[in-house]
Amino acid sequence: MEILDKLINVALIAATLRTTAPILLVALGGSFTTKAGIFNIGLEGQMLVGAFFAVIGSIWTGSAFAGVACGVAAALAFALAFAVLVVTFRANEVVVGLALNILAGGMTISLMKAIFGTRGSIVGHGIVGLPKVQIPGAQALLGSWAPLISGFTPIVYVAFIAVPLLVLFYNRTRLGLYIRVVGEKPEAAEALGISITRVRYIASLLCGLLAGLAGAHLSLGYITMFTENMSSGRGFMAVAILIFSNGDPLKVLAGCLLFGFADAFSLRLQTFGFPSYLVLTVPYVVALTALFALSYRARPKIIKETLASMQKLLSVDRNSAPVDKNPQ
Amino acid sequence: MSDRLRAVSGQVIAVGVALLLGAIIILMVGESPVRVLMTLLRGAFGDQEKIAGTLLQTTPILICGVAACIGLRGGMFNVGIEGQLFLGGFAAAWVGFSFSLPAGIHTLAALALAIVAGAAWVAIPAYFRARYNTNEVVSTILSNYIAVLLTSYFTIFLFKRPGGWSETPPILATAYLPEIFSFSRLNWGLAIGLLLAVGVALVFRYTSWGYGVTMVGSAPKFAEYGGVNVKRQGFIVLLLSGAVGGLAGGVETLGVHHRFMEGFAPGFGFDGLIAALLANGSPVATIVTALFFGALRSGSLLLEVDTSASREIITVIQALIILSVSAQVLIRRRGDSQAGERRWKF
Repeated sequence: MEILDKLINVALIAATLRTTAPILLVALGGSFTTKAGIFNIGLEGQMLVGAFFAVIGSIWTGSAFAGVACGVAAALAFALAFAVLVVTFRANEVVVGLALNILAGGMTISLMKAIFGTRGSIVGHGIVGLPKVQIPGAQALLGSWAPLISGFTPIVYVAFIAVPLLVLFYNRTRLGLYIRVVGEKPEAAEALGISITRVRYIASLLCGLLAGLAGAHLSLGYITMFTENMSSGRGFMAVAILIFSNGDPLKVLAGCLLFGFADAFSLRLQTFGFPSYLVLTVPYVVALTALFALSYRARPKIIKETLASMQKLLSVDRNSAPVDKNPQ
Repeated sequence: MSDRLRAVSGQVIAVGVALLLGAIIILMVGESPVRVLMTLLRGAFGDQEKIAGTLLQTTPILICGVAACIGLRGGMFNVGIEGQLFLGGFAAAWVGFSFSLPAGIHTLAALALAIVAGAAWVAIPAYFRARYNTNEVVSTILSNYIAVLLTSYFTIFLFKRPGGWSETPPILATAYLPEIFSFSRLNWGLAIGLLLAVGVALVFRYTSWGYGVTMVGSAPKFAEYGGVNVKRQGFIVLLLSGAVGGLAGGVETLGVHHRFMEGFAPGFGFDGLIAALLANGSPVATIVTALFFGALRSGSLLLEVDTSASREIITVIQALIILSVSAQVLIRRRGDSQAGERRWKF
């Protein structure tokens, strides 16, 4: 019982919220592209350049928030490249996404060498991390439970506030509706005079925005450093979550909390002397298991969706050319 | 024939555009593109040892590329070649240092286990892809991370060489893949890769099974009406692709390192996938693209010594090549829409 208390306590839940934030942000970003009918495997790379340029911006300007802005700008540039190639040039989404991920990995390492002359990681150099927000009155209100709502970096709050906002966005705003229509029934979107191209561009850029924030959280949040490939597959886990949540913000949140918990819990296990190599596999194993288990459960739906997406594919191929010429 | 000529010239133009973009990035990191190019060429082809070094780097890329081709032909993205390579490499090393067998048989046994390990590693993603249509891109990518960590665990916690640093004991000399020249570690693994590429190309070209795979990849409905069991074939295609990925790891272990070590072959799986994509899923064309990427890798070793650029600059160039090849679709669509639409759909 004592061991259980040591394993699961307020600190673990707070750690779960911290580790959930980056994957939640990147998955919510991916929900835009998922809803718009684009399979975006490039999240990983967008997150990585976000993390790198956040550190660079933070060093150059001396301000954490300017750093975040730099990170977001870099992720947006990658998202734009993705949109140009996938939406305008109609290249294969998987190929473009993977290539952009590889580009992000190589580019960040090359730039690190060029700017700092080092390999591996950027530590020090005057990186300014994000401040922690202390919510006034939290201590008085919740006592020892206060760490659950107070003392996180601003990006963590942004991540969790984004969930209800996205629910509203998809259900209550015109753009949200457009994105869903373009993803689910492009032919209907076309008939309504919605520009599929424009909506998919917007969805990709919104995705880049959140992926950049997620990256900035990695490098300026709780540790202020950049290491090679520091996104370490979180973008891919986000894609796994998006596949079984279909991009619905609340389901995304549930999936991300599971991963955040797995992440935080595995760090705990490490301190109990389990071999670190095995412990580190936990989040990936959880992601795979969830992906397989849920695809088994959802099989009739998947078949239906596959048929729908094939119809969609065919109709887009045949019909979208005139739409391209005539946006709105 | 003119179609093929156009396809090849399109690929060459795309590579040219990518190299141009690469030159701009090299300027941005404060190095001269000409100097980088000359260094790369010198590092890849400077003398006979350098050429052998290039071929040495080409070998795993080629075998991984063939693995990717098998998947791409059947409409499957096996992005998990990296993981299959690691498990295959470890399995071959394990046979190499745990058993003592006659020379030759030892090598074959080690390669056989590498193949089995690679296929086994992709079996679960392949099963769920075939049966429940679970996206194989994501499941194989995620399994890469597990494979790398798992082989590190085996190496460091279960089979560490006493006194060594994160490596297994060396394999017995009976399990070595023999070297071709005395001046290089280049070994007969290259011949395995070349035979494999040609063999797979022949299977795709001349057997009804190969034709069925290509049909499933390019027109699944048609293949299904034609009597192909699409699900079973998808499963088999991914298993074969994984098996070849495992073989790549075995060849690398038995031919080059003679032991398994942590991070023993970083990135070969992805390089192979890129080589296969650039070759448009053709195993024979993959020989050329793998040689190209092998030369880049081999040349990049000198890059770090002679210039201020990092060797990852070649990763950037590779990614740019694939991006510009994928962008060709638009350019192609103007003149002849059929060819443009077909690209990357295999």
